[in-house]
Amino acid sequence: MSFYRHIPIAGLDGKQLQQLSSDMKLSLSQEDMEAVQAIFKDWNREPTDVELEVIAQTWSEHCKHRIFGAQIEHVKDGKSEVINSLFATYIKELSERIFARKPGFVLSAFHDNAGFITLDDNLAICLKVETHNHPSAIEPYAGANTGIGGVIRDILGAGKGAKPIASLDVFCFGAPDTKAEQLKADGVIHPLGVMRGVVRGVRDYGNRMGIPTVGGAIQFDESYIYNPLVYCGTAGVIPRQYIDKEVTAGLKIISVGGRTGRDGLHGATFSSAALDTDSHEEDIQAVQIGNPIEEKKAADFVLEARDRNLIEFVTDCGAGGYSSAAGEMLSEVGGSIYLDEVKLKEPGMVSWEIFISESQERMVLAVKEESLPELKELADIYETELTELGDSDGTGILKVLHHDETVCELDCSPLHNAPTRHLQSTFTTPEARASSSEFESKDPAADLKSLLGDFAIVSREPVIREYDHEVQGNTVLKPLAGATGDAPQDSAVMFIDGSERLMAMSQALLPEWGKYDPFAMGAACVDECFRQLVAAGANPDKIALLDNFCVGNPEDPAELGGLVECVKGMAGAAETYVAPFISGKDSFYNYFETDEGPVSIPVTALISGIGVVDDKSHVTGASIRHANSVICLIGSTGDAIGGSVYARQQGVGGVAQVPASDCETFLEQYRSYHEAVKNGWILAAHDISEGGLGVALAEMGFSGKAGLEINLGEQPVSDDASQTARLFAETPGRLLVEVAAGDVQSLLATFEGKAIAVIGRTTADHDRLQISFNGDAVIDEALNELKEIWKNGLTPYY
Amino acid sequence: MEKRPHALLLKFPGTNCDAETARALKAVGFSADVLPISQVSPDRLEGVDLVVLSGGFSYGDYVMAGRLAQLVSEQRLGDALKQFRDKGGYLLGICNGFQILTRMGLLPEGSLIHNDTGRFKCNWVKLKKGSQKDSPFLRGLPDEFELPIAHAEGRFVTKDASEAEALVADGFGVLTYTEDINGSFNQIAGLQDESGRVLGLMPHPERFIWSEHHYDPDWKNENGGEHGSGYYMFQSIFEEIEEKSGLKAKA
Repeated sequence: MSFYRHIPIAGLDGKQLQQLSSDMKLSLSQEDMEAVQAIFKDWNREPTDVELEVIAQTWSEHCKHRIFGAQIEHVKDGKSEVINSLFATYIKELSERIFARKPGFVLSAFHDNAGFITLDDNLAICLKVETHNHPSAIEPYAGANTGIGGVIRDILGAGKGAKPIASLDVFCFGAPDTKAEQLKADGVIHPLGVMRGVVRGVRDYGNRMGIPTVGGAIQFDESYIYNPLVYCGTAGVIPRQYIDKEVTAGLKIISVGGRTGRDGLHGATFSSAALDTDSHEEDIQAVQIGNPIEEKKAADFVLEARDRNLIEFVTDCGAGGYSSAAGEMLSEVGGSIYLDEVKLKEPGMVSWEIFISESQERMVLAVKEESLPELKELADIYETELTELGDSDGTGILKVLHHDETVCELDCSPLHNAPTRHLQSTFTTPEARASSSEFESKDPAADLKSLLGDFAIVSREPVIREYDHEVQGNTVLKPLAGATGDAPQDSAVMFIDGSERLMAMSQALLPEWGKYDPFAMGAACVDECFRQLVAAGANPDKIALLDNFCVGNPEDPAELGGLVECVKGMAGAAETYVAPFISGKDSFYNYFETDEGPVSIPVTALISGIGVVDDKSHVTGASIRHANSVICLIGSTGDAIGGSVYARQQGVGGVAQVPASDCETFLEQYRSYHEAVKNGWILAAHDISEGGLGVALAEMGFSGKAGLEINLGEQPVSDDASQTARLFAETPGRLLVEVAAGDVQSLLATFEGKAIAVIGRTTADHDRLQISFNGDAVIDEALNELKEIWKNGLTPYY
Repeated sequence: MEKRPHALLLKFPGTNCDAETARALKAVGFSADVLPISQVSPDRLEGVDLVVLSGGFSYGDYVMAGRLAQLVSEQRLGDALKQFRDKGGYLLGICNGFQILTRMGLLPEGSLIHNDTGRFKCNWVKLKKGSQKDSPFLRGLPDEFELPIAHAEGRFVTKDASEAEALVADGFGVLTYTEDINGSFNQIAGLQDESGRVLGLMPHPERFIWSEHHYDPDWKNENGGEHGSGYYMFQSIFEEIEEKSGLKAKA
């Protein structure tokens, strides 16, 4: 039998080319196929199936991010502009301006598996976040399992191998109590099944790898029923001398880890298309199978090889398998890959299957020939399989050989530039919106309870306890902490072995805001992530961000318009905070063809961040520590309640105004706050986000250390915030802090001229949350009863 | 170089708490090496005072936790670990290590099976020292203290419930949870053998070395020191070994 074939394309017309792309599952457009046709006409030959597959991987949305690089004609409120690449304009150029303003902070960005920032003179830290949406929709356990496995490999393949030290996982699901008859398509897995599968998938991979899962979020919305979102992130640490890597001619290319099989064929191209009922049947092959122990052995090998200085270059095998990994290594320098050497899980695989298989747990390295004996010995020690795949040769040609035949011979230079896509987007600014006083809470205590029991806010404890968040022994600020060990925190903070400094990690997403005002969402996500890091003790000058977008159909101008606005909001906030983006990823086609038409997700931006905590004494939790402390509120509360959980519960999410972010003012406040942290004045701090001040106060009180007495009348407000807005608005930029009575004057002096006020105190007299408004009682509830509602919200479902 | 008590950590594919356990051992004064199981042979136990099997998921624990690690260890070491103990050596198994030591028969008969909740559980727990018999690993600790647990298969059971009761009464059950955590008979969290030189426990002492490891920022240890309970566990066995081997006198 032949292991490859030539595909005649020279004589095909546009329609036939598109048909070919569809038959081969290449996910290439007609325009792309015509460009391919032109390249091979130039070379005066027909492509092989292997070559077409390689190009399809290289140009896939998953690998090349062509929508983020597209030329977009954006029309906002009738005014038109042309954006040449969202990525270049709003992420890369912006971050490069920030790099210039903070020399020495960002050590690597945008070209490696993950970006690195300086921790101290010797060490750097990095973070990478990926999505694994489509696989998790079809096979939740395996999809999430390999999602976390993949992002861990990204870290192992960052620099010459970074050590994974912490993970975060963010999910968007349909509500767990979704009724079966609400599902409008066959073959769709109920949100509860998706949630259970996904959480277990993350648990079983992360726990076995010995990487603490310390961060995360879960959003529930019916728009995610058909397209659940699964973001997996991992942070790493590396000695700074191992960040730079290069493939030169004359190196050996080796693979370490798992074997290659037919699992995970076309994952990269599959994730660049929409889902439908048939996907649940047909695309199962695209979902990989995870084996964390295989990866653990490969990880032990890579880190030891790095420390022995045996690695010149390393990358992971992710989307596109060897074709992407070898492509990344050899596309410029050139070289040969011998498929006969690849160890297979099953016999009879043809050339293209071997080359693009996304079988898991494989790392690809470029090493010096003289290092091979020691590397082989190391592979034996850690019981992992090492395969010599080929070599780099300086020709600039990527050659793939199988059974003594050349099955692929590509000069990759014409492939670097995929045809630029041209897209249209529109956005219409919503009408001026109603004031919160129109939706005044009639029973604030009942509304607070209802918020604390909302799926958006309830404790994630049943999920968190399934993750080992303590392994490696470095988790200082845990996802659940405080005196009773079960109160929510804003960031995770980790010790870093070999450094006096610590790493804070956090994430924010607000899809509910994006339904009404994606620009405000973009800015607020950056603010919330940044604020949570600062709250936990990170230095505001040492924070780096990641952007991960999930969007429905990019060919729908309104959906793309939402993304454009979101990116603009996000970029503006990041520039103000001087917080660079060091990595990011986007996922499109998160829509599903149901019987009643396509269902898209709302534009969902996840902002994650890492920050440097300069000293362990700066680590600050979010739970009340003592009675007789003073409670201060930093930041001004506005009247806008749009996008809030309160507004959604009242059914007025789209009617009320969504809050804007005044990041310049916020940053000044955060700087003063950080001064206060360094002076040791802050006992605890909690960001005010979903559920507003009311929920934030209750959450701080869940440590059970003291009762709270609060006067809403003292709260700094802007534009006449109503009582309801004071309680439940989600105005960004605000921090709630606990301060010892003796430190209050110093704290207020530090905030001279900024929005801050003493709004209450903690007390040993009772264990209630007592909120009044200038003498009138508004809420008076036992904290343990509120906690009961919050703590048990998810337990019936998970 | 000054001779210090030496600890050897055996590492299986899937062992993942070796680095922080070695760090904890070094923090109290041990010299410590991590040795992948592929390199292990009986002669590697020479000069070793304490053998540690740290936590993780050896070989994935896809069959009963610790079962494959037990088979591989026996293949590589025969009864060398039993001889090591008989000659006065100390053995510590944490979490997966406890499961492995139990399967190897180095600890009282019983099984560590799935938690009665059917779930993995990462939590801090309160522990109580057994009053019947002293353990050289626990000497420096108060009667009650806290450590984190993280396991799916930590429920200690015996063929007959009375056997577990006897284990506690006879001083083998040196560590119990103060409340029911996972369905363990008699709330057993840790066991020692007849000699007292072998200890297995589900909680993770290496994760509570400094006071900052505790979830409550206001946690203070009883002596006002900066260390967590786990530190004192490692320090206890360090001191025991120094004393028994006369290293202390020499130093």
